[in-house]
Amino acid sequence: MDGPSDGSGVILSLRGVCKRFGDLEVLRGVDLEVKRGEVVCVLGPSGSGKSTLLRCVNLLEPPEEGDIHLEERSICKGPGSGTGEQSWELDFVRQRVGIVFQQFNLFPHKTALENVTMAQEKVLGRPKAEARSKGAQLLERVGLADKLGEYPERLSGGQQQRVAIARALAMDPHVMLFDEVTSALDPELVKEVLDVMRELAEEGMTMIVVTHEIGFARDVADRVVFMDGGVIVEEGPPAQVLENPREERTKQFLGLVLEH
Amino acid sequence: MEEFLKQFFDVGFMVDHFDEVLDGFWITTQLAVLSGILALIWGLILATLRQLPGKALMPVRFLTIAYIDVFRGIPLLMLILLIAGGIPALEFLPEWLRLPEWFGKPDSFWFGVLAITITYGAYMAEVYRAGIESVPQGQMEAARSLGMNHGQAMRNVILPQAVRKVIAPLLNDFVALTKDTTLVSFIALNEVTLVASDIQSETFNSSALTLGAIMFLVVTLPLARLVDKLISREQSRFTRGAPRVEAL
Repeated sequence: MDGPSDGSGVILSLRGVCKRFGDLEVLRGVDLEVKRGEVVCVLGPSGSGKSTLLRCVNLLEPPEEGDIHLEERSICKGPGSGTGEQSWELDFVRQRVGIVFQQFNLFPHKTALENVTMAQEKVLGRPKAEARSKGAQLLERVGLADKLGEYPERLSGGQQQRVAIARALAMDPHVMLFDEVTSALDPELVKEVLDVMRELAEEGMTMIVVTHEIGFARDVADRVVFMDGGVIVEEGPPAQVLENPREERTKQFLGLVLEH
Repeated sequence: MEEFLKQFFDVGFMVDHFDEVLDGFWITTQLAVLSGILALIWGLILATLRQLPGKALMPVRFLTIAYIDVFRGIPLLMLILLIAGGIPALEFLPEWLRLPEWFGKPDSFWFGVLAITITYGAYMAEVYRAGIESVPQGQMEAARSLGMNHGQAMRNVILPQAVRKVIAPLLNDFVALTKDTTLVSFIALNEVTLVASDIQSETFNSSALTLGAIMFLVVTLPLARLVDKLISREQSRFTRGAPRVEAL
């Protein structure tokens, strides 16, 4: 991995990011800085813009306004500078940012191993043997050494999600985004996925995790961000935001989540 | 009754003319297979053009949609007649294009191939499109998020899934195409219909046409069964709890 590019160690910074879907303003000016190796957990009620924020960072949903810097490079050319994908640093971003989705989105016509090797070969141009050995190694790391040849439909949700994590890691990302990756899982399968993410965090991966798992945020996050209505309401160390939130909206939300 | 059987099912007559009719059916087969393959490819190209992203490629999408709509709306027979009567009259074309006689096949064969490919390419493009649109949006997003460009994602992720889902409807179109090759008899290609109908007008016996129809059935009936089998296999893949076909 590249060394830090400046003294502050900021790998990703968002300034005034706005995103609309038609009349619906989903993000209304988000500022966020993430340091190299930091784990940021994003909490908030549904519809607060958490997922859209992640999708803006890797340009699946390019923002309309604001600027995003990744490793000191602006990845948006700014509003009005052109239309279509050409005005975005797509390749630069996607070679550095991996994302794991709520619905796994594994390729159903490929085995677990092929899911992990495909982009290595097609995008990075790695030789087949190298891609396979890297893929097998990553699948072993997420506890699926015996599932290399299985198709996704034969895997449990937790196993599929771990394949999806391995698939993203195979591209050697500098930042990993997790978009409610345990929300579609049966309760007994949540832990195996969170454990993999916990390990990843301990190894120093920079992670932005949109989640409803308060326990995970408390244990693993360096910083917790609470979003509501398309803006960041409050952020800080987990102990502060989760135990002693300053903002009324945060208190309300945590009250509802922790009630049961 | 005897007269009826003699008119349509005269076995001796069929045996006598079997070779002639079979020769015609061989032309039909070549026409169907070649046009079928070309239409499958052309349809896939059209469907892919239709799915190109971005504002800049809007004209390409628009033209593709216009093509598909127009050629699905024109009767194949008219197109065959337009091509066979029109292209030879285009003096500015070189003769090998105006009057193609490639691989020992007459120009009517090639005009037939062209007309059928144009029409069935449009039909098949719609079938592919249905397949492409049935692949969840998340597949494209996952592929793009891994750094694949649109073309790589289509080729490696979307199309393999889409094509698998539409093999049965594509085969259906191929059966229809096979039967529609008979229309090329209108421009004097010696395929099975023309051969058999010539025999009918010479002998006043229709059994040669019956024989031709039977030859069609020999090909189309197994295809129809295969389509059914593919459809039920595709459905069982998504039926939870049902035994997997492969396991039986």
